[in-house]
Amino acid sequence: MPSVASTWASPPTRTPLIENLVSGVDRYNPNNVGILEDYLYHQIRSEEYDCLANLAILKLYQFNPDLYNADVVINILIKALTSAPFPDFNLCISLLDERPVNTNPDEPDPLPSLLPTLTTLHNLLQQCRFPAFWAMYRSDEVESLRDNYTVECVGFENSVRDVVIRAVKAAFTRISSERLGTYLDLAEDDLAAYVQKISWSIDPSTGIVSVPRNPDNHIESTVVQENIQLSQLTKVVAHAAQTV
Amino acid sequence: MSQQRKALWDVDEDLQDVDLSLAIGNYGQNGIYDEAEPRIDEATLLAVQQQMVQQAAFAQIPDVVKRFIVHFHHAVLENNLAEITAAYESGWNRLTEKFYSKTEWPEAEVIAPLVNDDQIFLILYRELYYRHVYSRLQPDIDDRFHSYENSCELFNYLLNSDGPVPLELPEQWLWDIIDEFIYQYQSFCVWRSKAKSKTDEELILLADASQVWSSYSVLNVLYSLIQKSKINEHLVALQEGKSAEEIAEIVGEYGVRPLYRMLGYFSVVGLLRVHSLLGDFTLALKVMENVELNQKSPFTRVTACHVTTYYYVGFCYIMLRRYPDAIRAFVSILNFILRMRQYHTRSYQYDQINKTADRMYALFAICNALSPTRLDDNISNIVKERYGEQFTKMSRGEEGIPAFEELFLYACPKFISANPPPYEDPELRAAYIEEPPVEPAQRHLGLFLSEVRAQAPVPTLRSFLKLYTSLDAKKLANFLDADEEKMVQQMMVMKQASRSVSRVENEKGLLDGQMISTCDLDFVIDENMVHIAESTVGRRYAGWFIRNTEHAQRVFDGIRNSPLPAPPKAAPVANVSTDSAAPAASGPRPGGPRVAWGSVKAA
Repeated sequence: MPSVASTWASPPTRTPLIENLVSGVDRYNPNNVGILEDYLYHQIRSEEYDCLANLAILKLYQFNPDLYNADVVINILIKALTSAPFPDFNLCISLLDERPVNTNPDEPDPLPSLLPTLTTLHNLLQQCRFPAFWAMYRSDEVESLRDNYTVECVGFENSVRDVVIRAVKAAFTRISSERLGTYLDLAEDDLAAYVQKISWSIDPSTGIVSVPRNPDNHIESTVVQENIQLSQLTKVVAHAAQTV
Repeated sequence: MSQQRKALWDVDEDLQDVDLSLAIGNYGQNGIYDEAEPRIDEATLLAVQQQMVQQAAFAQIPDVVKRFIVHFHHAVLENNLAEITAAYESGWNRLTEKFYSKTEWPEAEVIAPLVNDDQIFLILYRELYYRHVYSRLQPDIDDRFHSYENSCELFNYLLNSDGPVPLELPEQWLWDIIDEFIYQYQSFCVWRSKAKSKTDEELILLADASQVWSSYSVLNVLYSLIQKSKINEHLVALQEGKSAEEIAEIVGEYGVRPLYRMLGYFSVVGLLRVHSLLGDFTLALKVMENVELNQKSPFTRVTACHVTTYYYVGFCYIMLRRYPDAIRAFVSILNFILRMRQYHTRSYQYDQINKTADRMYALFAICNALSPTRLDDNISNIVKERYGEQFTKMSRGEEGIPAFEELFLYACPKFISANPPPYEDPELRAAYIEEPPVEPAQRHLGLFLSEVRAQAPVPTLRSFLKLYTSLDAKKLANFLDADEEKMVQQMMVMKQASRSVSRVENEKGLLDGQMISTCDLDFVIDENMVHIAESTVGRRYAGWFIRNTEHAQRVFDGIRNSPLPAPPKAAPVANVSTDSAAPAASGPRPGGPRVAWGSVKAA
């Protein structure tokens, strides 16, 4: 089974064309930015995610400020937001060099006003403050982000829920459905359906959700004993053999 | 030569006293001589003047330096690596100390007659000339532009001649060429970003010269060297265990030559560095995907390269939040440096390596505060010595943020922005000066601190959990004086902080890895009960026994091989054999068994 990291570094959904751009020197060719941007919008529509390809777009923007397209950057950040707790969001921000002052008042750059919002949302996910995330996400303050961007990003809310599930799955063996509900921003029937969808079980009388056993929520105390390899002893044994 | 010099003196007795550059400057401006001697055209006169300047400069070169340059040139012409190395590593530095510790070496044009105007040698000479200017003096804008042009000429010669060039240079020098190229690029970017303190002349030059030291041109050189040398194909073939003949077939006429092979390899490491400086930590590790990090590779003979590689790899791992991988990289190279220390005699590198090592101790302290691991005792003792105070603060969560900040800024790479300030547009430039953007290092610091802040509650939680095997979540929240729900959320953060992607079984490529648990304290929440489990590691004896058995064997061999004493002198002989064993034995010997066990950790 491919590891978390290898799926991240090269998702199975990546086409050979994109692979060629991501891994080769063609990634620096400004003429290829369109291909990568199209691929980003494909990810937005198809619930796919390819961090390295998106970083390649930001790299081209970094070297060629003329190519800069704020909508693309915002979409990349939205995609990266839901990969928490992995550091994708910060990796993307890292590549956003200082931008020259916007000279065109007719087309204001939406990024400067949205970036603090996105960063706060990211910090909330990073700190597992899920109820606070939903409260902020649903607030009026974030309306323009919702109406102009996340609404286009198919399955955005569910990918936030994936972040929640990753955190809960690792820390809990059982969790009350109220608590899980506030984390997932789902209530009653929706919650029950969601829990069923991911094959967890809910006890109808107590409302306690059982989280299936996995390597992270199964703990045991262990004593690690030292394990000596023969190779460590080669010198000693060889010397003894010579001396005898 | 002396003939020429004589002629020069005849022409102008006072040459030594005249400020020649000033004379030329005045001449160009006021044109008095134009009227006086209209038949001599300006260019010729300038050329003559310049020649005179050069001859005067030539006259001032000490003979020992002239002999050195002639000798150096011969060594390069003959591809005599031993002689080149001697000239490069000791001769040049010795003469620098003696004659040029505060001034430039003679300009290449001045020494050209000594080397028959050999353009290739002059390019190499300029490479050293400018490196000296950057390291000992303050490069001005002309130096910066000319060193760029010279680098371009050098790489142009290497890459665009008809076939591979027949030049051979020591590996150390090849590394220094790439290293210096990137250093000068980085230095230029930092200098360029300070738009406020530029003179008018500098502003004009900067507005015109957007290509000089551009990121694209630097990457272009590095990628071209990589492709020409087929170094990636070479590395893959080595991993597949191909024979020397097969490899020669694969890498072609360039790649078989040590010069291109090593430049190719160093360029891969150069890319790692450039991408790190630009804040692209993922790509930095991706370009290294064919490089196997171990100390046995044939490419690790240049210590400075080896150290640079691990420093940047380790740093990138920190930014990818892969602290165990970062720790492994630092431990491995810091132990290597400790072992190397006793053999290191080439002092001009030694200082630099020590500085990098010190920054890696700081980064190691950072990683260890964020992801406490069972440490390499050697390294952690040194860290305690140097950064003990900061480490204690960093292990306390929120209040340790200033310590994180201090160590990060001290130890991080010298980040740069990819693009120049808007020099070509005075209005935008004024706006830029008015409101300068956040410096790159501060930007990356901010991102790093956001990671640190996210896991700030973890140390406190951990210290409480250590005391229990299970307890009620409400009770824990009371201890912490926190709201229960908030505490549960922090527990999830703690869980995430104790997991990390890491390379565990020699995965191919530095980006690959598997999810591992990084902490010996683990917990799980069962509705409202927190259960805690701690893994302990049994005491390790084997290393100590093996080391001491080997030592005992050496002592035994020593005694056995000494000549039998003549009977009356029995006592001194016994002394001799203990003396030979003394340095190694002195560690564990003093004190009783308790101390000896204690020193297992420290050894």
